[in-house]
Amino acid sequence: MTEPTTNAIGASFGKLSYLVVDDFENFRLSMRQILRNCGADKIESVANASAAVQYCAYNHVDVVLCDYNLGEGKNGQHILEELRHKKLLKRSSLFLMVTAETSKEMVMGAREYQPDGYLTKPINRAMLEKRLGGLIAQRNALLPINREIDRENFPEAISLCLQTLPSQPRYKTWLMKTLADLYYQVGDFSHALKIHDDVLSQRDLSWARLGRGKILIANQNYDDAAATLKELVSQHPDYMEAYDLLAEALEKQGRPTQAQQILEKAAEHSPNALLRHKHLATLASSNQDMPTASKAWRQTVSLGTYSIHDNSEHYLALGQSLSDLSEGDSSSEAAAHADEALTILRRMEKRFAGQEDIKLRSRIIQSRVHAGQDRMNEAQSALDSIADELDPDLMHPDACLDYAKTLFRLGREKDAKGLLNALAIRCSDNPLLLQKIESLLDEPVGFRQKLQARSLNRDGIKAFEAGNLEEAVTTFNRALDIVPSHAALNLNLVQVLMKQHQDTTGDRELLKRCERCLEKLVDLPEQHRQHRRLISLRKKLEGMMS
Amino acid sequence: MTTNDHEQLSHPQSTQSIDFSMVLASAVHDMKNSLGMLLNSLDELRQEQAETVGDSARFNTLQYEAERMHNDLVQLLGIYRLGENNLSAHVEEHFVPDFLAQQMARHTPLLEGMGIKLAIESDEINGFFDEDLLTGVLNNTINNAIRYTKSMIKLTAAMHDEFLVIGVEDDGNGYPENMQHNGTPSFKSLNFNNGSTGLGLFFASSVAQLHSNGDRHGYIKLHNDGRLSGGVFEIWLP
Repeated sequence: MTEPTTNAIGASFGKLSYLVVDDFENFRLSMRQILRNCGADKIESVANASAAVQYCAYNHVDVVLCDYNLGEGKNGQHILEELRHKKLLKRSSLFLMVTAETSKEMVMGAREYQPDGYLTKPINRAMLEKRLGGLIAQRNALLPINREIDRENFPEAISLCLQTLPSQPRYKTWLMKTLADLYYQVGDFSHALKIHDDVLSQRDLSWARLGRGKILIANQNYDDAAATLKELVSQHPDYMEAYDLLAEALEKQGRPTQAQQILEKAAEHSPNALLRHKHLATLASSNQDMPTASKAWRQTVSLGTYSIHDNSEHYLALGQSLSDLSEGDSSSEAAAHADEALTILRRMEKRFAGQEDIKLRSRIIQSRVHAGQDRMNEAQSALDSIADELDPDLMHPDACLDYAKTLFRLGREKDAKGLLNALAIRCSDNPLLLQKIESLLDEPVGFRQKLQARSLNRDGIKAFEAGNLEEAVTTFNRALDIVPSHAALNLNLVQVLMKQHQDTTGDRELLKRCERCLEKLVDLPEQHRQHRRLISLRKKLEGMMS
Repeated sequence: MTTNDHEQLSHPQSTQSIDFSMVLASAVHDMKNSLGMLLNSLDELRQEQAETVGDSARFNTLQYEAERMHNDLVQLLGIYRLGENNLSAHVEEHFVPDFLAQQMARHTPLLEGMGIKLAIESDEINGFFDEDLLTGVLNNTINNAIRYTKSMIKLTAAMHDEFLVIGVEDDGNGYPENMQHNGTPSFKSLNFNNGSTGLGLFFASSVAQLHSNGDRHGYIKLHNDGRLSGGVFEIWLP
């Protein structure tokens, strides 16, 4: 029963080198034995992730057999991500995930890196010989293609795929998927789309529909993409990649709230995907949904512990959203959020100690957290601890922006505005940053006030459109009590007052109030999105007053 | 290898009502993993102690029953996900003879130990199906055939009326009259009183149902008209 195989499969096993990763010595030994019996010869085995990564860095490995669950620390998915991310494992090498799970849920981590196959425990020789033998045969048949992909010679890889298709019907799915992906990579969307359409014309396959959605997004055809992906998600509620793409399409369609809901659903189904949580966190932050954002950033940070995707930005973002959440709130829940923010930031200072700016970024937020809890002395001393680094001309723009936010919270409004104006001049060629500066100048308040002012603004517009001018004026004024320098809001109010002036007998008091609104915007920089509207309304007002 | 507990349940005392199906599902998940480890050890033991346990009937029973439980639990989880509306077929194109060879390989040590022959009779065709779901169905069906066969089990595959038909045949006494039928047993038809619950068939037919092409859906068929003159299980996939 255990005689070594001598046939062709045995010969193909013998040519390759293997790495077995498992934390149990018994399993490593039995796997080694099984591989030997299949005809393999070059077999190395290691017990943990760092040894595996280390080994692959210095040795060529053709086949990795990696257990998913390696006890404390990194798991098999982390190893896969790290090996592929650092390009320590070629595309032409095989990575097999060994798992005790029959379902792939646990492993459905990242969307970018998938193993070449799963082996479900218990594993016996016959199984391994068949499964791995099949994958090795596939690897050998497709090796020329993968070699070109490793060399990033995509056009050559494409023509090889096309040549191989008629002769290897067995690998048709792989070839079609790879071909579509290669067309996508080189930006030939019409050919990529055609591959999927051809597949779909024969049969409705979910991977082809997903691929089609991806190309439609790349082609900026967001409506069709969203429609296709919505249908896919409803038919395959367990297809996580479809959720990711649908969220992207919805976002690009300008529906950030719906996009967030989709990602929340996906994150619930597959709780181990760091990048998905990060996407959700970013989206929820920009939607001003701070409770969801904090939760998702918390997940991102915790999943980062052993991941190649770990980043200090995640800690900063978690600190920022917890700061927003706790600000100006004296409840015990808010105090807990503030404490958590401080703990996370301190942990970040240690974990990323070698990173430039890390202390600066951390203390700026810590100071704001203290200020939000009315601890002004602590807030000040947090800033004092980085006094020599707080140079507005040298600070990274993101740090500057964050610093300005803290200054607003400390009541140093003039300093904050000065800082932001200087930053706007320094970064005048960065439209995205300028937009952030504008938003902060418009709404230098906590997210709750922001949301309140925004909702009042919407109500005001509704009232105006319904012809209730008086109600519109009151509503806009209430919004301006919260964010007095908000450019668009001030201009909205001016427009209503002018309309009132036209409709009534020409009450000059109304025009005076318009003047006062416009005076508040006297410093509005030229690049501000509302600047042109300001100029035209100012001219109109001058005309009405003369 | 370490069992990792991802307990997502809140503490029972802090919740008003206990979601019992979820409690069950996570317990099943845990048991399934334990059994996986147990089966792994049995396989190793069979290799290490080939002379002493190779054809021991008691050892075979041990492995067979553990396999059976493992399959049952896999099915339970599948049915749980079905109920949660969280199970769908991810159909891809596969080379059928390769797929069947892989299915057979899993059962090889036990079948060798029990002296049962296993053969594959498949056309060289590509088929469209969800590999994981079908693996679950075939594991269970083969396991069932092991129980009722005398000396041989055969896996077959061919195209009939534009359906891919995968069959498991044995040379036992065949299915009793009342079990031979086409189509879909409903959840209500499960009988918990007579030992054999039909859970496996329910799962198999649910998996078949999840496979569709246009407006045609898959189904299962049980009969005794096989070439081995025992029972024949067939799953018809559009």
